[in-house]
Amino acid sequence: MREFDWVTLLLLVMLLTCGIITIYSASTTKTGNDFQTDNYYLKQIIWIIIAFIITFLIIRTPYSVIEIMIPPAYIISIMLLIIVLFMPEIKGSQRWIPLGLFNFQPSELAKLTTILLVTKLISKPHITNWQIISRSFIIFLIPIILIFLEPDLGTSLCLIVSFFVILIASDISAFYIILIISPLISIIASFSLIIFIIYILILIYILFKTNLDKIIIGFAVVLNTFFFLITPFIWNSLKEYQQNRILTFIDPMRDPFGAGYQIIQSRIAIGSGGFWGKGFLMGTQKNLNFLPEHHTDFIFSVIGEEFGFLGCTIILLIYFLFLYRIVRKINMLKRKEFRFAAIGILAYLTFQIFINIGMNIGIVPTTGIPLPFISYGGSNLLINILAIGLVLKFLNERSIFE
Amino acid sequence: MYSGQQKPLLLNYALIGVFLILFLSIFNLQIIESTKYTTIAEKNFVRIKTLFPIRGEIYDRKYRAIVLNKPSYNLYISLNKIQDKKQVTEFISQNFDLSLDEINKIIYDNRFRLYKDVLVVQNISFGKMVKISEQMNYYPSLSLKSEKIRNYLYNNHFAGYTGRINENEYTKYKEQGYSINSYIGKSGLEKYYEDLLRGKNGYQLLQVDASGKNLQFFKHNLDEPPVNGVSLILTIDNDLQYYISSIFPKEKNGAIVVMDVKTGGILAYVSKPDFNQNIFSENLTTKQWNDIINDPAKPMLDRIIHGTYPPASVFKLIMATLALEDEVINEKTKLTRCEGGMWFGNRYFKCWWEKGHGRLNVLDAIKYSCDVFFYDLSTQFSLEQINNFTKENMLTIRTGVDLPGERNGFFPTRKWYKDNYGKYVGIIGHKVNLAIGQGEVLVTPLQICAYYAALGNNGKWLKPHLLTKTITDTESNYIQPEIKQLPVSQKNMALIQQSLFNAVNESYGTGVAASLSSVSVFGKTGSAENHMGKKTHSWFAGYARQDEFEIAFVVFLENAGHGGSISAPIARKIIQYYYNLEKS
Repeated sequence: MREFDWVTLLLLVMLLTCGIITIYSASTTKTGNDFQTDNYYLKQIIWIIIAFIITFLIIRTPYSVIEIMIPPAYIISIMLLIIVLFMPEIKGSQRWIPLGLFNFQPSELAKLTTILLVTKLISKPHITNWQIISRSFIIFLIPIILIFLEPDLGTSLCLIVSFFVILIASDISAFYIILIISPLISIIASFSLIIFIIYILILIYILFKTNLDKIIIGFAVVLNTFFFLITPFIWNSLKEYQQNRILTFIDPMRDPFGAGYQIIQSRIAIGSGGFWGKGFLMGTQKNLNFLPEHHTDFIFSVIGEEFGFLGCTIILLIYFLFLYRIVRKINMLKRKEFRFAAIGILAYLTFQIFINIGMNIGIVPTTGIPLPFISYGGSNLLINILAIGLVLKFLNERSIFE
Repeated sequence: MYSGQQKPLLLNYALIGVFLILFLSIFNLQIIESTKYTTIAEKNFVRIKTLFPIRGEIYDRKYRAIVLNKPSYNLYISLNKIQDKKQVTEFISQNFDLSLDEINKIIYDNRFRLYKDVLVVQNISFGKMVKISEQMNYYPSLSLKSEKIRNYLYNNHFAGYTGRINENEYTKYKEQGYSINSYIGKSGLEKYYEDLLRGKNGYQLLQVDASGKNLQFFKHNLDEPPVNGVSLILTIDNDLQYYISSIFPKEKNGAIVVMDVKTGGILAYVSKPDFNQNIFSENLTTKQWNDIINDPAKPMLDRIIHGTYPPASVFKLIMATLALEDEVINEKTKLTRCEGGMWFGNRYFKCWWEKGHGRLNVLDAIKYSCDVFFYDLSTQFSLEQINNFTKENMLTIRTGVDLPGERNGFFPTRKWYKDNYGKYVGIIGHKVNLAIGQGEVLVTPLQICAYYAALGNNGKWLKPHLLTKTITDTESNYIQPEIKQLPVSQKNMALIQQSLFNAVNESYGTGVAASLSSVSVFGKTGSAENHMGKKTHSWFAGYARQDEFEIAFVVFLENAGHGGSISAPIARKIIQYYYNLEKS
């Protein structure tokens, strides 16, 4: 009958514990022989307790009740995303609604409600491919645009990734996915004619292999060529500082006094950790002025510096086991909406982990995404735990439908 | 449905792929390249060094200094080099006027600025510096630097002052390259021309290891040299400025402005009492600060543009020109007989000359400053008409002088009276008062000076200003000359000018104390009743002409007495001094 996945929960608790320890270290500064610690780790513990209480309540709520609450929850999220645009700026963006004790970040809530609503709508029986695409597109587009306006590029990207992964997971044919993704590749390829020609040839080959109508193939080629041709025009019409901003995003080293400086310092911190690390609280790079987000976005650099390659590997391993256990069980979810929702949630968690660690070690651009379950941060932690709680609930309830 | 079976398999691979990439990258960073990064971390090779520009200086019209830079010895602490925190803090506390708590707070506030030098003490005397420099070797975290701070050669309000940037300003201007140790203009020209004076930070990227090998983390060489701030040349004349300060009545508060009628350039800008701006770039103690802030004479108040006062009789020209322009009167019209006052309903409004002036035309009414003449005129105009005409003459609105925070002054409207005195307030009585510049109307001394300069310039109003050019320019690029025409015809202007001349140069004129034999002086006195004290504010405003030189002036003294007896003689001295100066 009902069997709760205690091992997954244990892995989650291990991640949270690593987080608390690292936050303690990250908010400790050492001047000579003197240590000073800010109380972020205590706040994190309180957040975890709150998150567990809420998650417990949700697991106990019948899914039929949760199902009714999804559309209103989505609408509330959207409204909060609009409200947040009128909030005072904090560090150059409007992401938070100040609620006295803490700042609430509506984009985190929107991430979860959007995924739940989309998976609910596209799981209806007898639904056509175009319905799946159009519905999920519209429901994803609203929060993506609103979050992009804050501006919070990282969270927008998270949603975009979830959108594609859900589409791939749903039963629409591969052609549509290729059609949606191909213009993006065309834009990138447009900087070199040769690459673009090779790309178009590969595209035509793939489409032929899927035995598609020649008219449809023609349409895809025309569409891609159009994007290829228009991109240089758009690029040249951009102001120099706009071009620079995009180039700096792709290659932060272009701006060594800004984005590049953070990445190089983070690389120094992690690289200097070596195999064993410098030891708990003994990191020297973490207190640098360049990383005000050392207990949030750049917390992985503290792990790398103080716990070394060994610590990093252990963290990666826990993450991997945690996610892998869930992925393996997703097969068993027979109810479509559970399966899609679980995949969507896993997709954004994996994406966040990849982008955050990748940014810390300097292999992806800086976007300001926290490390799930480890970084300090109320809204993000709460929603991530809640999302995992829901996935565990889906897995737990599968027996009813078997 | 069953196609879903293979999807999680795809996810499996994706997951494995993602973690493999991360694992390999970390392996590369922490195992293969570890030695390199360990060396960098220990020696902290990759650092940005900010190169600060030298702030521009300020000179008068003859290139004589007003504000200069002077060296200052400052003590900095570098938190990453602290070995024994207790020892260091005690050393600082023993040698300087700082408690252990204060030092610990500085360290705590800057705990994330580990590799930046944090300022601890500034303006260390040379003797002290010699004394502590012997012991400095024991404390590698401490360093002494010679930097530049401002030196204000004399007290004044127009230059303003600079001070260390505070946390609020730092968050606001961080993007523009200010550091936590930066100075920033806080008031006056220092604030208004901050962008010009400050210059631009330069940067240097240090990425060289011990053997001098370039580590080349950054392909692009982006070192930027600093751009020094430019020095300003003002319209101010230091000689005149010093002279006015020296003859300013002791123990009196007030403002004196002298302007060049032809250009609008301000030659002298004196507001008293003033304060020594140098204290803000030195170690300002709480007591010093409180003394300034709580001084009832308000030494930090720039009375020329931040003080607003009732203009009293210097305002009468507005009523006179309004009546002449509207053809309510002409130069011959005589109004009600002045018998020392006038009845409006059941209220009696007194003239300042209790014996009465008799029936006067406009020329004599201005010359004798008869109140009754203007009381009578007030009945001919609505409040709105007077308000609009006042503003058309650039009074009770900002002049646009190149200083921050200039005030508008005030002219009451019908709505204002209703809001403050209730719905059924009678306007007539208030209007009678406004006609002689009393009641609620408030102006700044600079507005009055600019207005009288315009009268001397045949109705051409010029924006008053302080900056002529920067030291590198040959021509001024920063001041847009703003010219307005007062709404007064040439004929009426000549009449008004005549009346101002008569007021100073004919016997029994109110301003005779300002008359000079060699210079043509035009002026109007004013004695403003006010809530600040028993004695009236003393005004004298006007202009003076000799050969091609023409200046406008305002002499304003708070609660000093009558304009004719107090301010006019001071104006006379200033005029005389100025023309002697121009001749020599």
